[in-house]
Amino acid sequence: MTQKKMTFLQELLGFVGLEDRLHLAWISSAEAQKFQKVVTDFTEKIRTLGPSPLARDYQKAVSL
Amino acid sequence: MKDTVKKWLEEKQVDMFLGYKMVHGHALPYCFQADRLDEVDDLVVSRERYSLEKMATHIAAVYPEMKIGMLARDCNQRALKVLDIWDQLKKDSVTTFNVNCCPSPLKNHGDCSYLEPSPVGPVKVELGIDNNMSVEHAEHLDQKERFAHWMYEFSKCIKCYGCRNICPVCFCKDCSLEHPELIRSGGALPTEVPLFHLVRAAHMAGRCIDCGLCEDACPMDIPLRLLYRKVGSSVSDLFGYRPGIDEGKSPFNLIGDAPTTEPRPI
Amino acid sequence: MEYKLVPSICSYCGCGCGVLFEVMDGQLVGTMPLKSHPVSQGKLCIKGWNLHEHVISEERLQTPLLKTNGALQEASWDASIQTTAERFKKIIAEHGPDSVAVLASAKVTNEENYLIQKFTRAVLGTNNVDHCARL
Repeated sequence: MTQKKMTFLQELLGFVGLEDRLHLAWISSAEAQKFQKVVTDFTEKIRTLGPSPLARDYQKAVSL
Repeated sequence: MKDTVKKWLEEKQVDMFLGYKMVHGHALPYCFQADRLDEVDDLVVSRERYSLEKMATHIAAVYPEMKIGMLARDCNQRALKVLDIWDQLKKDSVTTFNVNCCPSPLKNHGDCSYLEPSPVGPVKVELGIDNNMSVEHAEHLDQKERFAHWMYEFSKCIKCYGCRNICPVCFCKDCSLEHPELIRSGGALPTEVPLFHLVRAAHMAGRCIDCGLCEDACPMDIPLRLLYRKVGSSVSDLFGYRPGIDEGKSPFNLIGDAPTTEPRPI
Repeated sequence: MEYKLVPSICSYCGCGCGVLFEVMDGQLVGTMPLKSHPVSQGKLCIKGWNLHEHVISEERLQTPLLKTNGALQEASWDASIQTTAERFKKIIAEHGPDSVAVLASAKVTNEENYLIQKFTRAVLGTNNVDHCARL
């Protein structure tokens, strides 16, 4: 159910042009390496995407 | 229609009937009652849509035993179903007189102020989102364009809360849109873009019945119906649930229940 | 049980949007936009949406407040009117009628607003009168 709800949110954010900035992964408390990998990968992904367009003045975004 | 309503009122099948009556040239919602039976002759089907079920909910909150009759288009019926599921207006207490609405293969005639496309000017086409756009079309806009255009639309918001206030299926006593830690309170305008609208859009998942009253009430002409249609199609695709049409509680009410269809890979 | 919807005009500004008041058992319980109104076409701003609230608000003032010793204190109508009249007279005598101004309210009737402007022009002798609905 959580997975579906997150997919729903991803679709909603994507619809208004905010793709790929929400991620869900199952990591057990015993999977330290997986946790490290997921967080590093997602951090890298966000780094490539650049700062959130919302952080800037939205007026600037409008005049893109 | 008038004879049926008279009969219902006379035979006490309903205590009151919510319909429309022409007052000073305006079709206004009107409450017909048995002690003023001759007024039923003035009953009309209005082209303007008011949320009669919202009024019925207000009445039922004070008079829970009241048997309410009302004129119902397709959207009213979907709203009534959602209100019943959420225990706001039990379906046993409502009798509907179904009237014509959206054209379909079964009904080639429709009486609704919403059937004509809304007028869209050149500025809106250039900077914003055409209210008459289909969800598929809006999904396929270029990402940058989509973002900029939606932010333009959201930044017009004057925070009148009209979309929430008019919504037939909005009934929460504490609204997260008024929660100071979610949405900053106070006078600053525009409201928090796009948080305000996305919070509401996410909240409408599993409830929104696509009646379009929110967009109709929006003084800034934000294409809310398109946004909530996307919410509706996502909910329908992911959960197989169509609010107001399917039985049962919204999937967003379930915690940890077995998914009804295969989840998509994330 | 009595339930009716009364069409009216929003009193807050000069736009004059159409509103529909929800009245249950003689009590004003809600405001809705009037869909067929030619001016507002079924749209309202936040003030219009909450027109009904001040009528039944518990925070509504029941008596006039007079500022005595730096703090607002409840006062009788007679005392308030007396104080206002004395202050008006004093200020006008010292600095002339154009040194005072009157701001009328959208929350009183049209007739009362007429009286307010008449009072300001004819009695106080100034054109300094305005109304919060004059956009």
